[in-house]
Amino acid sequence: MLSPISPAQAENCPIDRPIVFAGLDWDSARFHNAVASRLLETGLGCEATEIPGSTIPLTNGLARGDVDVLMEVWRNNLAEAWVKAAERGQVMDIGPNFPDAEQGWYVPRYVVEGPGAPAPDLKSVADLPPYKDLFRDREEPGMGRFYNCIAGWSCEIVNTRKLEAYGLDEHYTNFLPGTAEALAAAVAGAVKRRRPILFYYWSPTWLAGLYDLVKLDEPPYDAAAFAALRDPDAPLLGGVAYANAIVAVGVNSGFAEAAPDIIRLLKNYNTTSQMVSDALGQMRENDLSAEQAADWFLARNPTHWESWVSEPQRARLLAYLTRQ
Amino acid sequence: MFLDLGTPLRDAANQAIDWLIVTHGTSFDAVSDALLTAFLFIEGPIRALPPWAVLILVAVLAYAASRRIALMLVCTAGMWLIGALGVWDEAMQSLAIVLVSVGVSALLGVPLGVAMAKSPLVSRLISPVLDLMQTIPSFVYLIPVAMLLGLGKVPAILATIIYALPPLVRLTDLGLRLIEKELLEAADAFGATARQRLLSVELPLAVPNILQGINQTTMMALAMVVIASMIGAPGLGKTVLEGLQRADVGKGLIGGLAIVVLAIVLDRITQAFGARRLTNGGDGRS
Repeated sequence: MLSPISPAQAENCPIDRPIVFAGLDWDSARFHNAVASRLLETGLGCEATEIPGSTIPLTNGLARGDVDVLMEVWRNNLAEAWVKAAERGQVMDIGPNFPDAEQGWYVPRYVVEGPGAPAPDLKSVADLPPYKDLFRDREEPGMGRFYNCIAGWSCEIVNTRKLEAYGLDEHYTNFLPGTAEALAAAVAGAVKRRRPILFYYWSPTWLAGLYDLVKLDEPPYDAAAFAALRDPDAPLLGGVAYANAIVAVGVNSGFAEAAPDIIRLLKNYNTTSQMVSDALGQMRENDLSAEQAADWFLARNPTHWESWVSEPQRARLLAYLTRQ
Repeated sequence: MFLDLGTPLRDAANQAIDWLIVTHGTSFDAVSDALLTAFLFIEGPIRALPPWAVLILVAVLAYAASRRIALMLVCTAGMWLIGALGVWDEAMQSLAIVLVSVGVSALLGVPLGVAMAKSPLVSRLISPVLDLMQTIPSFVYLIPVAMLLGLGKVPAILATIIYALPPLVRLTDLGLRLIEKELLEAADAFGATARQRLLSVELPLAVPNILQGINQTTMMALAMVVIASMIGAPGLGKTVLEGLQRADVGKGLIGGLAIVVLAIVLDRITQAFGARRLTNGGDGRS
């Protein structure tokens, strides 16, 4: 989409070439690229582009300077390429993008709240045993079904060990959906019929944005206990919650020196997991592109981002958004 | 230049699925429960049998089908290899899903094939549907099936049937069409009713083709094992899938190898049944 304001009318971009974003191959990264691009293009009069790829080649590209900005650096799961480049001073973490990427065990809200909710007292994983008939597994009479995460992912091992740690393995089958699409289809099918379903999920995701979900309480995260959950051969130290992951914005160090104004904006840039989920839900439900979802997000939360930019930049962005 | 048919079609399909889920969910549950009962009926004994009993059963079946000691030994050794690879239980789960799928396919496929051979109209209507079932990428129907029926064995069986049914229908149809006209005229001359002609002349003569169809359907059902694991079916497919998703090449290889061995055993046994029917074809008529 061409910006209706040409760079000449706007202010001059602090850098005289297109700013290159890392086109990470998942939805939330596309959304963040689109929001940041809109702010830079319409607000600062820059040009923005992206190079598609996956984490490791794009991180290497960021270190070399082929890529300027990487909007999702998962601090709890840093690629080795990132760690090495950061040691050499080629890349910088300039602060959180969203600090609360979550994982956990969920039920739809209508299961626990509202009139006719079948399990008003279900608050935490410890309350689950008496509800095994509610979440019954049709293929295993007498058992409830827990939809674990995707077969082969590391969360599958953690959840399997948690079932054991919480003493739930005798009440619930450890059901492995084969793929993320299948898990999402099972949740969507259940929610549309207002059926009870107990499942592992994570955010930000379109599913967490589109459906009203409640995360069950677990004992607080503890590093040693969680390490034991991750290792199938270690003795269990009890079940604990997943830690929230902090997702930060990463930039090329040379770019950061050359364009302090852009860095200031990206440092201010912050969202929450729920905001991102809501935007991804809009993309999914109304078939929006990442760019349309970015405009939807900016138009819907004008007070959230007003402090990220200068007054004239804000006015230009608002003018653009009202025209959409 | 092009009329936009994609958007309305997509919206209509999404609305149709939502409508099915919301208003007919209960009927789908009933279908699902019926299939599940049939499945548990077959799966129970298969998984309850001790491995040595399964080996003996395979040996007996292989010999009965072929009357050849060599084939019997190869099939039994193949099954033993599956156990030696450490995936016996997974193989039995896959076998149960394959057998139920083939059973349901036979119940549906043979009558459909007969109807196609008898009526050019039915043939013209069903042929494109069979083409669709064989060529449409599985995920296109896996996801709606998963939304309607949840995840697990029942949707896996349904998806397998969709993929594996067409060859049986086609080969039944072909088997009936290939019968020499003289034989049918003879049956008519003896005053056979349409029903007598079908049951005593046509179907027995088409048996080699029908068995070939069953063989093909079985092979295709096995080919679906990995795809079915993507909607939560247990078994060898899950072993392969886990191997892929963890980049554990060895595990993927073991799962894949066990599927191939199971396919060879089932193929040789069903082929041998078909071949013997072909050579002993005279028995039925004399």
